[in-house]
Amino acid sequence: MTLPSRTQLVEVLRWLRRRADDVCGFLLVAMFMCFMIQIVARYVFNYPLGWTDEVSVIFWTWGTLFGAAFCLREREEVRFDIFYSSMSEKTRARFAVVTGIVFIVLLVIAMPAVYKYVTFLKVEKTAYLGIRLDYVYSIYVVFSIAAIVRYSVLVYDGLKGRAPDIQVGSGSVI
Amino acid sequence: MNLFSPFAMAIYTIAGLGLLGLPIGYSMIAGSILYLLLAGLDLATTAEQVLNGLMSSYVLLAVPLFLFSAELMNLSKMTDHLLGFCDMLVGRFKGGLGHINVVQSIIFSGMSGSAIADLAGTGKISIDMMTKNNRYPVSYAAAITAASAVIGPIIPPSIPMVVYALISDTSVGYLFIGGVIPGFLMAFAQMGVNSYMAHKHNFPVEKPIPIREWPGITWKATPALLMPVILLGGIYGGVVTPTEAAAVAAAYAYIVGIFWYRNFGWRETHGAILTSARQTASIGMLIAGALAFNYVVTVEQIPLFVKGLLAGYDLSPGWFLFWVNVILLLLGCVLEGTTIILVILPIFIPTAVALGIDLVHFGNVAIFNIMIGLITPPYGLLLFIVSSISGAPLRHIIRDSMPFVFAMIIALIIITYVPETVLWLPKLMGYKG
Repeated sequence: MTLPSRTQLVEVLRWLRRRADDVCGFLLVAMFMCFMIQIVARYVFNYPLGWTDEVSVIFWTWGTLFGAAFCLREREEVRFDIFYSSMSEKTRARFAVVTGIVFIVLLVIAMPAVYKYVTFLKVEKTAYLGIRLDYVYSIYVVFSIAAIVRYSVLVYDGLKGRAPDIQVGSGSVI
Repeated sequence: MNLFSPFAMAIYTIAGLGLLGLPIGYSMIAGSILYLLLAGLDLATTAEQVLNGLMSSYVLLAVPLFLFSAELMNLSKMTDHLLGFCDMLVGRFKGGLGHINVVQSIIFSGMSGSAIADLAGTGKISIDMMTKNNRYPVSYAAAITAASAVIGPIIPPSIPMVVYALISDTSVGYLFIGGVIPGFLMAFAQMGVNSYMAHKHNFPVEKPIPIREWPGITWKATPALLMPVILLGGIYGGVVTPTEAAAVAAAYAYIVGIFWYRNFGWRETHGAILTSARQTASIGMLIAGALAFNYVVTVEQIPLFVKGLLAGYDLSPGWFLFWVNVILLLLGCVLEGTTIILVILPIFIPTAVALGIDLVHFGNVAIFNIMIGLITPPYGLLLFIVSSISGAPLRHIIRDSMPFVFAMIIALIIITYVPETVLWLPKLMGYKG
């Protein structure tokens, strides 16, 4: 068996990234559909629903944490960029190493407690549909692991002198 | 205050990581974990705060839905047809295109909750129209376009007000309606500046549009004009909640784009979904960070500390609002707006309550203020965007936007010291105050 080449690996990662985008888009559309179903049920069928509220906040929570873990590009993050953006790429790469290491270390330290907290919730269920809360909340563990991996890559890039791609003012929505 | 307390260390960490370029949401999560570690508290608390916070912030679902509807609206280009309609209304006055720009922003404000969406939707076409045949200097066109976009989140719907509703526990409906008069005040202030500039620099007048063309122009703009009617009628007619209204707006924009203008298909829809989903993750993460950090701030009783500190100065409500306005205007020059709402405003809210300041009034004043921050240098988000759309140098746009900033600050003073400008409409709709 031969190891996959670098280009094949990049292909696979790109494919995964597109699928992650699809999941993220699906979560948004699903949340939107919950609202439409809720409104139609109430006015057209005179039958108010309760589960739509519950499901839509789950989609929102997952959309945020899954999206932040797998879909957001570096340039789409909200940063305090007035100072950062005026630095040279070399300086920003050094910054990325420092901030990345601090962030990773803190996430790793918190990890056992977070895992314990989430698994402990298997005894609790959501109010309406009775979905096990550890399933719902597991997205935070996924998010933490993804963030650790992602920032490890950024630290590696930073050591090689490559800074994350940024765009001033991106990510703001107001 | 102890400069080496866990809380102080958390603040240094957040500020340090933020300054060195870590996304703000992550900086706050990191700072909160460090605080828990140093204070010997359960390290899972950050996760707990983020998860429980997101799961119970039902009102915030309006944010992704308004983002989605703005994307769809901009795709359908329904706002392009508003230009003709606005021309019909105000084109014949001196500096006509400047007035058109402002009036169009007023209408767009009733459709979208974001100043950035306003610029993305109408900025380029407005600037192009004003600068065709060198009728207006490009820097002036860019400045008035950025300034008028600021009206977007003040007239309902409004994304920042949804975020404020979360942190202050006030009603989105009353906050929204409270923004109507301030929004119009802001628009009048801008049209006043435009009139003055038009006379000073002898800006052109548009040809009056003959009355017989009015119905046709209005008809073309109807889908766009109906949007605010559906949204506000839905919310204040008690048909839908503000969050549901956001979903209805998205559905309406989609239907209009597909069936009326027929200018987008699956490909574009897919793009709009992905863009808004990613924007959702971006603001969601900022909110998650703020949820984690606000827990720390609450445990440390910082808002109460600030309240006690200010009580020592024996501030009157008027002076309190004055200083809050000054602080927010200064912060608006360097910080992103949502961050200010999420992190800074909660510190002031208990004091505002203790001084008897109405929180709907306070929210409208604060958001009006923070929106001015979108066009104040050095960190004026909208200035950057219009500069890249128009190609005009940033410093020229800043120079030309200064009169607008000045006029908007006067409007801010009015809404700060005449609370009825904000509260009259909510009270009319049953707000008890």
